[in-house]
Amino acid sequence: MIRGRSLSPSWILLGGAVLLGLLDRPLGLGLVDPMRGVLVFALLGLGLNVVTGFTGLLHLGMAAFMAIGAYAFAIGTCDIYPFQLGFWPAMVLTVVVGAVAGFLLGAPTLGLRGDYLAIVTLGFGEIVQDVMKNMDAITKGTQGINPLPPPVLPGVGELGSEEGPWYWLFLGLLVLAVMACRNLERSRTGRAWLAVREDELAASCMGIAPIPAKMYAFATGAALAAMAGGLWASLYASTGEPGNYDFQVSILALCIVIVGGMGSIDGVLVGSLAMIGVANIALPKLAAWLQARGVVDPSNVLGSPNNWKYLVFGVVLMVMMRVRPEGLLPARLGRVGGGR
Amino acid sequence: MSAEPLLRVHGLCAGYGPVDVLHDVALEVRQGEIVSLIGANGAGKSSTLRCISRILAARSGSLRFAGRDLLAMPAHDVVAAGLAHVPEGRRIFPRLTVLENLEMGAYRRGDAAAIARDLHHVRELFPILRDRERQQGGTLSGGEQQMLAIGRAMMSEPRLLMMDEPSMGIAPILVTRIFDAVKRLRDQGMTILLVEQNARAALRLSDRAYVMETGRITLSGTGAELLQDRRVQEAYLGD
Repeated sequence: MIRGRSLSPSWILLGGAVLLGLLDRPLGLGLVDPMRGVLVFALLGLGLNVVTGFTGLLHLGMAAFMAIGAYAFAIGTCDIYPFQLGFWPAMVLTVVVGAVAGFLLGAPTLGLRGDYLAIVTLGFGEIVQDVMKNMDAITKGTQGINPLPPPVLPGVGELGSEEGPWYWLFLGLLVLAVMACRNLERSRTGRAWLAVREDELAASCMGIAPIPAKMYAFATGAALAAMAGGLWASLYASTGEPGNYDFQVSILALCIVIVGGMGSIDGVLVGSLAMIGVANIALPKLAAWLQARGVVDPSNVLGSPNNWKYLVFGVVLMVMMRVRPEGLLPARLGRVGGGR
Repeated sequence: MSAEPLLRVHGLCAGYGPVDVLHDVALEVRQGEIVSLIGANGAGKSSTLRCISRILAARSGSLRFAGRDLLAMPAHDVVAAGLAHVPEGRRIFPRLTVLENLEMGAYRRGDAAAIARDLHHVRELFPILRDRERQQGGTLSGGEQQMLAIGRAMMSEPRLLMMDEPSMGIAPILVTRIFDAVKRLRDQGMTILLVEQNARAALRLSDRAYVMETGRITLSGTGAELLQDRRVQEAYLGD
């Protein structure tokens, strides 16, 4: 049987995102604004997918690397510091700092297996938050670092309150990250990640050094998460308070990877659309719709769908585990059990 | 005898935590030989192989392979030195396809033409793997997985192939096929160190063999000698 080169779901989704960017204003959809959150979380999900999906290391502290990225970006750009590098150099710095932080966490801990590693990453996530909160002199404590200057893009100028240019910037960076992840997955390093995930001892029998392979995965994942953090800070012109990068964020990233399909880049994209799309788009729209019809009393906390977010997430996860544990777009669909 | 053996294990001691499982193990494998290591469950056969491929740390002793000191290298460099280990329980990569599993065996090689030649060779040795190439490794039967594990090890272009219990937990019909494949590899000149509980089958196709008991080598000889040995017959051949 001849199988045609099918278009991968990633490119269909990203193509849809381009279409949305073009049609949003003419059709008055108002979706570009909340979609920026989806794009940032897709980057975070891509990072976690490298660590947990490709390499099989349960990581419960991804938000810490997002925080490190946000603060690195803020320190690189904010005018209360002497650096003021501007958007692109600061973003490069952010990614490098993220990767180094990934190495630093990985070096002493990657000898640990399974649950033990998960607990260490969980602790790391909490520690980073507390450090950011208490290292006032550098991080400005709970105020966060602000204001951050807006990015300046060639041909566009300074990005202001208009949503469109931000959307294209984020989408462009996400496309680059997706391409990087695809190439990594097919690279020698990527094959080592998969082998370590499948069976560490057998991987070592194949000549793969498991600890360095895991270190690369940690650093790559952390770099992507840091990039997400830098973009987040740039969008809000502030790091926000350290508590923004809490365990909820780490778990949300994990949900994105699980709902989409472990180890699947397509899955991360559809997972972030499903999870963040529900939280940032569907629930607020539902709330507005119900309120416009006077169905719910706005003063009733339980009555507003905006407050149902975590309930919906929990139900979605349980349903997924029952119905489709491999995720919405599992890795290598169509290659498994395929024809001769 | 002749030149230095391909593999020489001397005075090997090893253990897990406080428990010593290998005591002063010594054995040799010469180029082109098929040598088997037989013995009861828990005698230390697998631990010996695990020490040789550096998965299990040796407490003392020496391990020399092809003129090199194995103790000076980490586990992941052993295969690059030419020593392939088919681990106990097969340990294939379940969610990678059969072809990807085989390709992983050649991870440390860069010579595309020679890799393609070896892939062809493995497909000839185990035609069933060719038919199942695009299937996930975990969907194969136990016997097919064993063939995959052997094929994967062959993809590293080894000078010595170590196999740990290739017949364990496998349908009898497939056991025959696997031993046939081992014979063919031997006839093609592959040097093999085989650990087996199926002592009769192992001794029949071995040039030489060692018998292990409670972490020590207690007997050695040619395959034919040991098949005739009364102690071996009583303990391992069920006669």
